[in-house]
Amino acid sequence: MFCYQCEQTYRSEAGAGCASTKGMCGKDAATADLQDVLLHLCEGIGQYLHHARGFGATDAEADRFILFAFFTTLTNVNFNAMKFVEMIQAAAQIRDRAKALYETAARAAGAEPRKFAGAAAFVPAPDMRGLLAQAGEAAIKKDVETLGEDLVGLRALVLYGLKGVCAYAHHARVLGQERDAIYAAVEHALDLLASEPKELGPLLDEALALGRANFLAMEALDAANTGTFGTPAPTQVRVTPVKGKAILVSGHDMKDLHAILEATKDKGINVYTHGELLPAHSYPKLKAFSHLVGNYGGAWQDQQKEFAEFPGPIVMTSNCLIEPQARYRGRLFTAGPVGWAGIRHIGDENFAQVVQAALALPGFAEDAPQQTITIGFGRDTVLGVADKVIDAVKTGAIRHFFLVGGCDGAAPGRNYYSDFAHEAPQDTVILTIGCGKYRFNKQEFGTVAGLPRLLDMGQCNDAYSALVVATKLAEAFNVGVNDLPLSLIVSWFEQKAAAVLLTLLALGVRNVRLGPTLPAFLTPALVDVLVEKFGIQPITEAKADIAAALSRAA
Amino acid sequence: MFKVALLTRDGAAIAFDAEPSETLLDAAERAHVYLPSSCREGGCGACRTTRKSGDVTLDSYSSAALSDAERDAGDLLLCRAHARSDVELAAPYDMAAIGFAPIPERRARLVEIAPAGSSALRLVLQYEDDPEQGRAAQFIPGQFMELSPPGAEFKRSYSLANTPNWDGRLEFLVRLQPNGAFSTYLKEKAQPGDALLLRGPQGQFTLDEASPAPRWFVAGGTGLAPVLSMLRQMAEFGDMRPCRLFFGVNRAEEFFAQDSLEELHASLPDFSGTLCVWKPEAAWPGFTGTPAEALARALEETQERPDVYVCGPPALIAATEHVCQTAGVARVYSERFTPA
Repeated sequence: MFCYQCEQTYRSEAGAGCASTKGMCGKDAATADLQDVLLHLCEGIGQYLHHARGFGATDAEADRFILFAFFTTLTNVNFNAMKFVEMIQAAAQIRDRAKALYETAARAAGAEPRKFAGAAAFVPAPDMRGLLAQAGEAAIKKDVETLGEDLVGLRALVLYGLKGVCAYAHHARVLGQERDAIYAAVEHALDLLASEPKELGPLLDEALALGRANFLAMEALDAANTGTFGTPAPTQVRVTPVKGKAILVSGHDMKDLHAILEATKDKGINVYTHGELLPAHSYPKLKAFSHLVGNYGGAWQDQQKEFAEFPGPIVMTSNCLIEPQARYRGRLFTAGPVGWAGIRHIGDENFAQVVQAALALPGFAEDAPQQTITIGFGRDTVLGVADKVIDAVKTGAIRHFFLVGGCDGAAPGRNYYSDFAHEAPQDTVILTIGCGKYRFNKQEFGTVAGLPRLLDMGQCNDAYSALVVATKLAEAFNVGVNDLPLSLIVSWFEQKAAAVLLTLLALGVRNVRLGPTLPAFLTPALVDVLVEKFGIQPITEAKADIAAALSRAA
Repeated sequence: MFKVALLTRDGAAIAFDAEPSETLLDAAERAHVYLPSSCREGGCGACRTTRKSGDVTLDSYSSAALSDAERDAGDLLLCRAHARSDVELAAPYDMAAIGFAPIPERRARLVEIAPAGSSALRLVLQYEDDPEQGRAAQFIPGQFMELSPPGAEFKRSYSLANTPNWDGRLEFLVRLQPNGAFSTYLKEKAQPGDALLLRGPQGQFTLDEASPAPRWFVAGGTGLAPVLSMLRQMAEFGDMRPCRLFFGVNRAEEFFAQDSLEELHASLPDFSGTLCVWKPEAAWPGFTGTPAEALARALEETQERPDVYVCGPPALIAATEHVCQTAGVARVYSERFTPA
């Protein structure tokens, strides 16, 4: 195996990347290699779909398969090698269908179909042993000796950014929001990767194109969430347990959460959100369920302890899953793209078994002392008080806005983000998205100019909401987004965050501080490009970075 | 007080302190580390680990649980071992097999008792609702429980044959032993409605989910129980991988669970079973010999090198391990049972 897609990838003096029998995330070598093969086949599918689209022919089912397949390969999503053997065989059939679609469309238009090699012509072995023997053809670093680390790293940036786009687009799709432009962009990127590009320029352009596609994907997801569940509003969320039977729902998928709430209605079962599902409490149609009682635990990396202590079934609807421990693996369920060998999987959105499990497990014996936090400051809420915000900035009551957001993780350097939130002066506002907030969201930050100083805007994909707010404020002040008293302090862990970063770059947002470490696939030369073209900076010390941001603002 | 460092098969490090007067197993439990074990009397071998450094002494134990050769190679039984210096140990199981809370003890009612072939019984027990534990039957296929009849002082270990479930059902296959304490209870006293005390789940004989290889199972007699649990879970989870079963008994009338095996044939996409009779009547049309012999023959016919799981009497385990070693099978997982 070789994988360096996430922030926690193994780093040593010899270089970065997980290349032994098991990655830092717990993904074993066979699964990693099979994921490479699956993505290689998807490149072939995308290549045919891209060229078919040129003749006006499309296959939405194939596009949907690509979204799902890519999603399964994100960090902490699917660890089940057998699932990949199955998906690879399905991918080969879909690729053949895409090929026929392209060739028929080309001939109908009077053109001679092109013959594609590489991924488009790859014939997967029928079983795992054969597939593992083929994995070298699909390996991320296969051409590194001839092409060099820069080109391979930039290909990786495109591939990993594409994973994030696909994941967000999949979330939107399950709630009925699809965008043809996203499918066209995904196919375009796959066509480029399938053609094994050997120039930096087209890859850099593709990375930015994916950033734009990701903006569309986040917009589609925003439309999906608000269209289905209403507009988020400030909401007090209980963060301590309530006596009674209990189900914990983790991941990002609000449709699954809704299905679980429906399935548990009037059954005496309380439902808790975990991790990135916290924002669900702010959506009117979800918080209308009185048995959605609260949020439990912290960010994903604490799950082995928290899940072990939770007295009911746990459903993991998307990333981030880590190795299930013996104490709870029997009551853990995966859903959607998630999987782990030997863990029950729900593939049909029927959560009846989870309800049975909740009734059979003890639940919480007692109420814990009540503690709440406030969430739900989506774009409509913030823009609803835009006049107040604008006045406060003009009078100097609010000096600066910090968007402290992104993923959390176990690395010690992530204390930076809690330090940053605590050190930010009282006349500044902290906006937050993603699960990085768990480092500070149960603490008191007070108010400034009549507004809470900590505004939780939602999930990582609600970066869209933050960008809408920034754009509207920039319009109100008649300046560009980069001229606003706003700094983005981004923590990344996996590929959704990589896609969000590409969106920020594609939209020309500068003043982004990225940490806790820079992606291992970005070579020093690539980092130089990002610094020079986009003003991206690595984090340093919280106090120093705050001072630098405020002095820029001044 | 000495320091004990235990490294698991998957590379996790566990540390605890041990007084010379206590066994390493007790010392670990004092530190809320519950290592796989069963009889705690040096008789079963479930707590065997390998000493990498340091000095230990061992109380008396059965050579069935630890042979001289194994002891010479550094193996020890945690339930019999006392530290005489700081000790480093290597465990043959993953971190997931270690518990960090005491092994639960719960009551369950006997709801079904019926013959399983000519020399075993099938028992179904039902957990009673418990405010702290609920009623779910949570275990990992392959694990066992210690069972005590109502009012009895003794307990006996039996593997679960069904899959984890939310109804609290626990299925066991028990071979009847002449004069065996639990067998005597079953033959003479057991009635549906009896409340038995169960201690578990325990044990690390579970599927190696990290390995993508095909799975072949070797079962002797009621050693089929944990294998049935594993196969049933694979069927329940829609596991597509190829698997084979070599199931042996002494005489054909001892066979049981044929309906369960038929269900597995219907639900697992790539499953085949070989029934083996060691001493058949003349009319037996199937394989004659032990399941280890059937395994050897099947390995000769393929290049495939599967993971092999074996449960049965010690002689069957030894024979299977020998067959696997000869054929170059790298991963063999075993659970031995001894008559009791």
